[in-house]
Amino acid sequence: MIVATVGNVLVWAVWVGAGFACLASAVAVVSFRNPFYSALALIGNLGSLAVLYLLLSSDFVAAAQVLVYAGAVMVMFLFVIAYVGPRMDTPWAGGPGWQSVAAVLAGAALLVEIIVVIGLKAGGRLAHSAAVGDAFGSPRDIGRLFLTDHLLAFEITSIVLLIAAIGGVILGAHSRQPADEVPSL
Amino acid sequence: MTVGAWICLLSPLAGALLITLAGTRISRRTAGYLSTGSVAVAFGGAITSFIGLLGKNGEERDHVSTAWTWLSGGSYRSGFEILVDPLSVMMMLIVSGVGFLIVAYSIGYMDGDKEERRYFAYMALFVFSMLLLVQGGNFLLLLAGWGMVGLSSYLLIGFWHERPSAIAGAKKAFVMNAIGDATMALAFFLIILYTGTLSFDHVFNIVQNGDSGISNSTPINLIALGLLGGAVAKSAQLPLQTWLPDAMEGPTPVSALIHAATMVTAGVYLIVRTHVIFEAAPKVEELAAGLGAGTLLLAGLIALVQTDIKRVIAYSTMSQIGYMFLGVGLGAYANGMFHLMTHAFFKALLFMAAGLVIHALHGEQDIRRMGGLRTLMPRTYLAFLVGGLALVGIFPFSGFFSKDSILAAAMDHGWYGYVLWVAGLAGAFLTGIYTARLFFLVFWGEPSAFVQEHFHKPKRDVVGISLAAPVAALAVLAAIAGWIQFAPLWHPIETWLQTVAEPLVSPAGWQEAVSSVLAVVLGAAGIGVAWLLYGARTRRVPRLAFAQRTLEHKFWFDELYDALFYRPSIRIARGLGRFVENPLIFGSGRELGQETRALGGLLGRAQTGLLRTYALAIASSVAVLALVFVVVR
Amino acid sequence: MLGPSVAWYLSVSAFLFGVGALGVLLRRNPLIVLLSLEIMLNGANLALIAFSRHQGQGDGQIFALAVMAVAASEVVVGLGLIVAMNRKRITLDVDRLNTLRG
Repeated sequence: MIVATVGNVLVWAVWVGAGFACLASAVAVVSFRNPFYSALALIGNLGSLAVLYLLLSSDFVAAAQVLVYAGAVMVMFLFVIAYVGPRMDTPWAGGPGWQSVAAVLAGAALLVEIIVVIGLKAGGRLAHSAAVGDAFGSPRDIGRLFLTDHLLAFEITSIVLLIAAIGGVILGAHSRQPADEVPSL
Repeated sequence: MTVGAWICLLSPLAGALLITLAGTRISRRTAGYLSTGSVAVAFGGAITSFIGLLGKNGEERDHVSTAWTWLSGGSYRSGFEILVDPLSVMMMLIVSGVGFLIVAYSIGYMDGDKEERRYFAYMALFVFSMLLLVQGGNFLLLLAGWGMVGLSSYLLIGFWHERPSAIAGAKKAFVMNAIGDATMALAFFLIILYTGTLSFDHVFNIVQNGDSGISNSTPINLIALGLLGGAVAKSAQLPLQTWLPDAMEGPTPVSALIHAATMVTAGVYLIVRTHVIFEAAPKVEELAAGLGAGTLLLAGLIALVQTDIKRVIAYSTMSQIGYMFLGVGLGAYANGMFHLMTHAFFKALLFMAAGLVIHALHGEQDIRRMGGLRTLMPRTYLAFLVGGLALVGIFPFSGFFSKDSILAAAMDHGWYGYVLWVAGLAGAFLTGIYTARLFFLVFWGEPSAFVQEHFHKPKRDVVGISLAAPVAALAVLAAIAGWIQFAPLWHPIETWLQTVAEPLVSPAGWQEAVSSVLAVVLGAAGIGVAWLLYGARTRRVPRLAFAQRTLEHKFWFDELYDALFYRPSIRIARGLGRFVENPLIFGSGRELGQETRALGGLLGRAQTGLLRTYALAIASSVAVLALVFVVVR
Repeated sequence: MLGPSVAWYLSVSAFLFGVGALGVLLRRNPLIVLLSLEIMLNGANLALIAFSRHQGQGDGQIFALAVMAVAASEVVVGLGLIVAMNRKRITLDVDRLNTLRG
């Protein structure tokens, strides 16, 4: 199962590091009281995920992850968090209501199920991955796929982005009238 | 000749449809002309058929003409077929002829009414229905015509629908007719069961030539009873006679046409048409005669105390149809039909003359307020005189010939016949009294205060002519029509109808003579009694309190039916409404709504509006679904 | 393939998904909720990439890129909403936002 070559050991070491960082940062995102810290933890999460993608020979996706996700999306997040101000959420205040307990249970159930499914059903087959050449995961490969097999997805994705951009502009626009004092709901 | 019959049948229908479709685009007078014209065309068609039948001799006078197959199920088949034979042609002539005169009279009588067009459409519809009834070649069409005349009668009685009494009268007529329809329908089911067909030829063949045990057996008795039930209802005989007086709420021409000349005679026609069945059930036939006799006495007695001019004539109608039932119940079919014909003439005449009186007095119908119209309306007086004498049966007017032949026929039927004969003679006496009473009260004496105040003479315009001419024509007919058949000497009507209905009785010459003499004597005696009481007013009218009350309450029949049928029905309906309908049906519906709303409210609590709740719901659902997926796969 | 087999990556992905779900369900600040949503999406992405590598086809990566684009769009709209809410002085607390209750 584990082939003890130098390359293999190196990959394993990187994998353990990146995986740990990934998991730790995910927990951190959910736990921090200050949303600013949560956002920063998410950036770390995204970075470690990029490393994992590289380990999976998906170069383009890793680069896109860093550029788009960690770069653009998270920056947007940080901007808004800074704009909204430091609202300290008290995450675990008020004791675990029935909703919280149920949430934990649901989440745990999901987790267990996924693992069980994968373990039970596909454990054997997941051991051996296909061998891939250099072109796998390269920009050329991705571009070719986008523009031939998945052209429709490409175009629709672009439309979705356009709509989101319009939506963002509309939502963020200043209203002509002065904002009424709407009491908190 | 069948073409003539088809034209006769369909022309009034076309008239009715035209008036209905034209609506307000034609004037009211035009609607009247249209209606009259269509009935006149029908009469022409009837004449054509008559002439056509005359050309043929005996056995060939039976033509069935089928338009198309109307109803077929299994081995049963009914066509839209009309039957042209002597009996149906006779009825066609009477219906379309008298109908034409009456519809023409209506042009003047109903002049000025707001809804004249509707009236004329209904009249044409009625004529069509009656023709369908008499021309139908199978029981199904007969039933169709039967129901439609009931409908037309209802529509026309309730013509002035703002009057509650008119509506009530129409409903009463319709409901009682419906009872008869129900018994007839049951009889038809039995006929189908036993003969497999409803066509006249086939049914009568089977009954006549079928197994010999069919006579007096239960099925044939039941069938005959069912048919008799329908006849009794339609012709207002005992025990279903209470609707006829209330039917006088309709306009006078309606009373003349429907409740004197044609519809109420449908029962007589039915018995004659289906005489084969009745002959196979002799007990029921005797029952028919007995009911006729009972009705004629009952109606004659009640007519003695009536104060409404139309009701007197209505009871007279009831009584005369009793005579017809008596005749056909004894098997004297031709005599019964002859009396039907003469009765149509003089009864329509009486009604129309009464209509002239009512019109002249601006709608007053109470004879106690009338008097002395002899000098003010001389021609009407003459017409009424002719009609009255014909009704009483005085020689040489028409009623004499027809009524006496029925009485003579009663003598040829054994002891039961003699009982009926006595009843018929008593009825003749009563007829004399009430007819003359009416006559004297309305026309003789000095003009009463009411008359002096309200009388107005109709003008000599279209209205006047249309009112006068039919009355004159009918007066002539009532006077001379009887001479068609003078029983011992010449009897063309009997010969005419012989191929259709062979009479069961043939009274001897001396029986005819005795009956005639006695009937005339009794009729004259009745007139004499009435003259003493009402004409010359030499004697006081005898007042027997109990008898008076009974007669005024029409022998308590209305009260009996009210207690027997109406009140229990109301009670049952109320009980059902309270205990079944309200809690079960209405309540369950309402509770269903309430429960649904409560359930909806319950489900509505899931809409908390909180994001977390919804997210939780999604997450748990996904978890559950994944679990299910894993377990199943 | 060198290193752990695809199953290990998949377990990481599952864990990420679960943590993200917990965050969505348990936190009250909508910003944190959006961040947790991002974690869930990333978990899904990882699974997609892993399977793509396992099969040697590039389709999973295409899918992952599309998911990334959609996630970006959704974040734009969500943050726009939060900014608008903030401008209207609405409390940023998902437990208080229940105008849509039925």
